[in-house]
Amino acid sequence: MAEKDSFLHLARPLGPAPVGAQPSTAPLGVVIQPQAIFSILDHSLRRPADQDRVIGTLLGVRSEDGTEIEIRNCYAVPHTETAEQVEVDMDYQKQMLALHLRANPREVLVGWYATSSELNTFSALIQNFYGQQGDGTFPHPAVHLTVSTVPGQEIESRTYISAPIGVTAERAADSCLFIPVPHELKYGEADKSGLELISSAKDREDRSQGIITDLEALERAVTHVLDMLDRVSKYVGDVLDEEATPSSALGQFLMNALSLAPKVDAADIERDFNNHIQDVLVVSYLANTIRTQIDLSNRLATAALTLGTGDALSGETGGKDGQKGGGGERRGKGRQQRTQEA
Amino acid sequence: MAEFTKDTPLRAVQVEALVVMKIIKHSSQNFPTTATGSLVGMEKNGTLEVTSSFPFPTVDAPATDGHHNDSASNLAAAAPRNKANVVYQNEMIKFLREVNVDANNVGWYTSASMGNFINLNMIENQFFFQKEMNERTVALVHDVSRSSQGTLSLRAFRLSPTFMAAYKEGKFTTENLQKSGFRYQDILVELPLTIHNSHLLTSLLHQLPSDAPKEELSFPPNLAALRQDPNTPQPPLFPNLDSLDLSIDPFLEKTCDLLLESIENHHTELNNHQYYQRSLGREQAKITAWQQKRKAENSARAAAKQPLLPEDEWQRLFKLPQEPSRLETLLNSRQVEQYARQVDGFSASVSTKMFAVKSNMLPGE
Repeated sequence: MAEKDSFLHLARPLGPAPVGAQPSTAPLGVVIQPQAIFSILDHSLRRPADQDRVIGTLLGVRSEDGTEIEIRNCYAVPHTETAEQVEVDMDYQKQMLALHLRANPREVLVGWYATSSELNTFSALIQNFYGQQGDGTFPHPAVHLTVSTVPGQEIESRTYISAPIGVTAERAADSCLFIPVPHELKYGEADKSGLELISSAKDREDRSQGIITDLEALERAVTHVLDMLDRVSKYVGDVLDEEATPSSALGQFLMNALSLAPKVDAADIERDFNNHIQDVLVVSYLANTIRTQIDLSNRLATAALTLGTGDALSGETGGKDGQKGGGGERRGKGRQQRTQEA
Repeated sequence: MAEFTKDTPLRAVQVEALVVMKIIKHSSQNFPTTATGSLVGMEKNGTLEVTSSFPFPTVDAPATDGHHNDSASNLAAAAPRNKANVVYQNEMIKFLREVNVDANNVGWYTSASMGNFINLNMIENQFFFQKEMNERTVALVHDVSRSSQGTLSLRAFRLSPTFMAAYKEGKFTTENLQKSGFRYQDILVELPLTIHNSHLLTSLLHQLPSDAPKEELSFPPNLAALRQDPNTPQPPLFPNLDSLDLSIDPFLEKTCDLLLESIENHHTELNNHQYYQRSLGREQAKITAWQQKRKAENSARAAAKQPLLPEDEWQRLFKLPQEPSRLETLLNSRQVEQYARQVDGFSASVSTKMFAVKSNMLPGE
């Protein structure tokens, strides 16, 4: 979705603006994290029926020199738009920003989004509002992100910064020049597992997916790898049978990949394998033993009173206690052994 | 409508993809400090739909060295029932209502590491949310460490009605437990959780390149070109190949540490209990001695035709020690069970992987 457009930035004469209050129009790169996009799409779904687009505030972090902006979060801001005028709830925007800053002080205001690709006079007005001094992003440029959400069409996103334009100061207030800047969608290591589950639901009719267990995930990953291996070996087989066109680059690549397989002695493998599998099984066995012991201890603690007096109970728990300690020591030993082996 | 839904228990939890991403982001950002936040959504026919979430405000911890980290974690863990945060939550929900988000509080979420989430904090938080009449709230637990292994670990919990009743009374004595037959397995009820995507999101996901291109591609002229080729597909989001990772030592070590810690706790609790039993025994022995002495005195007085001394005065003179609450033991037991199950699941997948590697390395055996 973040298609690679090429951008060329030219220095240009700037419009009339008070001297010394010129916002920077230096080009910058924008990185968008998936939760921001998800949130924008969610907002777009919840828009009032009579409104074509909705807007909201983007929060994120700016690199030290201001050339890199990472959009990490966003929230919706109510606004109404008619043919003649636009109304943004500024009070709401301010209070919501304050609330977000309390929860996450590092994420600051970086710009705003709209859920249509259209740029019009109102966009300019809002852009100037977000880029102004005081409450806005000044002296950094405000980023404007548009995400088109037209049903039946691809979701298209674009990012802009703006430069003032206009002959007089009055005209400059409600117009601005949107300069496209490059952006990309990036997800972190931690997001991976979540995105996996989310995207596994994309081909399903009900658009939902239950939580899968480790084993199921492993099974799916293995099947996937097997499929890929099949594809490659089919290609190699075809080349050998002179049915497919050979490619030296591909051959070299496969060769490199194969040479990554370590050459180890069979006995070494056997030994390491046995050690490791034993470790795993011992830990699993001991964990379950502990579970049983704890269960037993709980049962004894509550059941003992029916058997005798309080003394009997304390004796009972005492006995249990010794066992428990023993169990703990055993466990400890098992673990030390294991770490030595590892 | 409310009358209808009042009695149907919650059967399942459905979480929007947006919420999943928000929780993951918040939790991994704050890791290893615990992160907590609030969930909003609505309930429909026994399914709780969680449609949005927001984090609770961070508590200012002056420094981030070892000690402060702990206290920050504790503060964050206690956040959901903090008065200031209730205000924050209500304010946030008020604002969210204006932009058509389902503005009902449906619970809270917390981050965890290796399943170590069963503690008094969690119970108190959930109790705080669940004690309201006609409530529909869940606790979502996201396990950051386990999710880094490849599979997302997100679970939904509620306190069981029996536990709620017992906790309300606040009595976790041996006698009470015996009477109610309450076991540690009954503390939490886990609800099945599904993840739900909106139409727009599905559309977006289909746009992201993830599969190998279907059409015939021209062959790259050399190796460097192959590496730079934009058509080379990125590793797909699904299935996540991270789950093929073979590292097992850190996981086992951590689990062992946590298990040992739990045993230690259990030990302490048992010692407490033993101490209580001993002091109870001592006090009782004293009382019996006193009673016998009083009886002897009384019979002597009866013989001397003097008025008898009251025999129930011991209740004022001696004070029986308070029985320590068994709640901690119960929680600890539940935690151990959790660890054990976790190890079970882990060893299942790891032994599979190990056998796969073995047969790969030693073909023909």
